[in-house]
Parts: sequence; C-alpha cells; structure tokens
Amino acid sequence: MTASSPNATRQQVGRWALSLPVQATMYVTLCALVLWTIYFTTYPPIHDQVHSLRHHTLMVSCH
Amino acid sequence: MRKLKLPALISIIGLMGSVVFTLYGILGTSQPTESTVRLTTDPPLSQLVPFEAEALTNRPPVRLTLQAVDATGQPLQNARIHLRILTPRSNPWFTTDFPIVEGTELLDLEALAPQGELQIQQTLPIRGTYQLWVQVSPVVANQFNPIQKTLTFSVSENWVKYQNLGLLAAILLVVGLGGGWVIGGPQETQPGEIAPQRVRLLLSGATIVAIAALLAVNLSAEIAQSHLSMPMSHMAKHEPKFSNSGVVQSQGLELRLSGDVRATVGTEASLQAEVINLKTGQPEPGVVFDLQATQLEKDWIAFAATLPAAKGQLAWKQEFFDGAPHSVEITVFPQPGIGRQFTPFQVAREIEVEGVAPPIQRRLIVLAYFTSFVILGLWLGLRLRSWRTSSIRLG
Repeated sequence: MTASSPNATRQQVGRWALSLPVQATMYVTLCALVLWTIYFTTYPPIHDQVHSLRHHTLMVSCH
Repeated sequence: MRKLKLPALISIIGLMGSVVFTLYGILGTSQPTESTVRLTTDPPLSQLVPFEAEALTNRPPVRLTLQAVDATGQPLQNARIHLRILTPRSNPWFTTDFPIVEGTELLDLEALAPQGELQIQQTLPIRGTYQLWVQVSPVVANQFNPIQKTLTFSVSENWVKYQNLGLLAAILLVVGLGGGWVIGGPQETQPGEIAPQRVRLLLSGATIVAIAALLAVNLSAEIAQSHLSMPMSHMAKHEPKFSNSGVVQSQGLELRLSGDVRATVGTEASLQAEVINLKTGQPEPGVVFDLQATQLEKDWIAFAATLPAAKGQLAWKQEFFDGAPHSVEITVFPQPGIGRQFTPFQVAREIEVEGVAPPIQRRLIVLAYFTSFVILGLWLGLRLRSWRTSSIRLG
C-alpha cells in the first residue's frame, strides 16, 4: 500500500500534466512569450535584431 | 390678356431675383470673407505617409507651406507667423510604432514672414491627424487684424504594415491550428508509437524550462528598462561628429547655436541661434538662418527651414522623435540689400536624444491581440481533431 502510493501520485501528476487544458495553456503561454520576445521585449540584442520587423508591423510600438 | 401679363412679369422678376441671390450666395461663399491661412503640402495631402524607420531609402521630409492671405486672397505682407505642430492623439488600443510621440508637440516656431509665407520641411513620425496651430500677427501694429487658425491634415499608415500584420495573423492561426491538432490527438500510446508518457512529460518539462527562460530574460530586460530609458542600439556610444561648442566666428561675426544638447523623445528641446557682431557685441540685424536637423545614424532629415531674422536671433522648440543622435546645422546668410553683406557660414551641434520604451500596457494589449490569433487557431485545431476522431469512430 505504502509502495504503490507514490506511484499512483506520479501517475496522477503525469495525467494532469498531459491533460488537454494544461497542454493547451502551456502551448499558448510559450507562443505568447515567443511573440513578446520578438515584438515587444526591450532586451537590447533582441530588439536590435528585429528592429525593422517591429517598425514594419502594424500596432507594434518600438520606441 | 393684360391681366395675365402683370402677374407673369412679377413672377419673372421674382425668379430672376432669387437666381441672382442664389448666385451671389454661391460666389460669395467661395471667396474668403476675412483673412485666413492656407496650407499646402509637398507631396500632396493624399500622398502623405509617415516616417518609415529602417527604410531602404530615406524619404525627404514633407514640405509644409503656410500662406497668410487677406479677404481678397492677397498675401499679407510683413507678418509674423507662430506655428505649433501637434501630433495625432494617443490611442492605446491602436498604437503606432512611436507611442511616446503621440499627442505631443512636434514643433514650436515663430518666424518673420515678409511675404506672409512660412515654409518648413518636417518628417511626420506617425499616422493620424496632425494639428497645426497657426497665429499670424503684423510686424507693424494694426497693419492687419491678427489671425489664429487650427489647421488639420491626416497621414495614412504605410500599407506594408497592414500587409505584415495580415501575414503574422495567418502564421499565428496556423501555429494555433497545428498545436490544437496535436494536443487534441489521442493521448494513449498507440501500438507502434515511440513516445511513451515519460517522453511526453520530458517534452512538457522542456516547455516549462523554455517558458521560464524566456520569462527571466524578458523580466530582467523590463527591470533594467525601468532604471535606464532605452538601453538599445540607438544609445550606443559613438564619437561626436562636431566640436559641439556651438560657436563659429567668421568675418567679424560670431554664429552661436545654444540650447539643449540632450533631449528625450516625447518632449521638446529648446534651441536658439544668434549672430553677434564682434565689433559692437550686438546681434547682427538682417540675416537669414538656414536650419537643418538630421538623424545621424541613418542620415535622414527630421526638420529643415529657411527663416529670416531681422534682429539676428531665432528661437524654436522641436521634438526629436527618434531616440538617436541628431545634428542641428545652421547656416547664416545676409539678407540681400539689407544690413551687412558677408559670405555664408555654418555652425553645427550634436544633440543626444534618449529614446523611451513604449508603455508596458500598450505592449501587453497588442500581445493579447496577437495571442488571440493563436488561441483561435488552437480552438479550431481542437474542434477539427475532435470532429475527425468522431467521424473515424462512426465510420
């Protein structure tokens, strides 16, 4: 009984992590962060690389 | 017969009277009934586009001409024109690429207009409706009644930006659709599949690590941003192009360019030009100043004007909307036939312009727009997968 409990918990966590809402949330969050990094971050090396793209896309404010 | 003629005659006279009255009304309204200010632009208003940052070729600034005319359409002579250019209003839900510039004053200039005309060249930073606040007053008191007008004109957005947004929206929809299709698929390991639950969990863990890494990079950049206005390429250190003293002497005259040497996007810098006669120590009357402000990184002209200065002095305020070093160059000429004649000479000064990062709220609003395309695509992908799975089961 005590040996099977951690295993059951692990399986429960695994099922939860692979459930549709969690996977969809993770996917959307990752996409949003990638979008932020490309279009909105003030991190200098990234900003400089995508400066032209930002200024040529509607509604993207650069500086 | 005679009885009929009189009413007919009265009707004809009445009709003619109303025609004459109507024609007078039409012609009367087409002529200005009082002094006014006319605005012309080059290129024409319908062809105006905002400044294009990172453009392959630099577009010249827009030439704005203000002409003060009297009620008969004749130019008002010996006028003084005060011009303020106000940028389009701020709209956080539909921001431009220079949000700090929205709803600010781009230029504040007062100059003599001997022929009632003021001409400047100004690069217009963003799309939208600009306001030109113009006040025309006589140099000699009571020569004419002062005029005050607010003129407006609109600048359309560059179509390339719409095209790129459409392309981005399509990509985001496809990304969402693909994600929804995969995530909505069967989660059990099928015979022949090589990705057991452990691998899927590992991939999910890697996604979490990627999210954490991106969060860390972006948050640290935002925290650094709060301490420094705009630590970007524009702020890279470079050697000044000029001596920056702002003083040049020639032919017994001293040309001085003074005022702010540091500016910030969103606020105006105050600048003054003055020609001093070294013998008298007084400003030299009857000169013309040729001004030009240039962005030094990409070498485009932000503002230019040729303005007479009867008393040898000129002061103006201008906003440098791009966070990069600019030069302000002034060439002084003698006014032909007025005052002392001399060979034109020039002074230049470099202005450090500090960029300001867009407000985080604005960036978050547009991020929400973009992410909604992914969510829409994801939802469509899930629906598509669900529909396909149920149709296979039924089949």
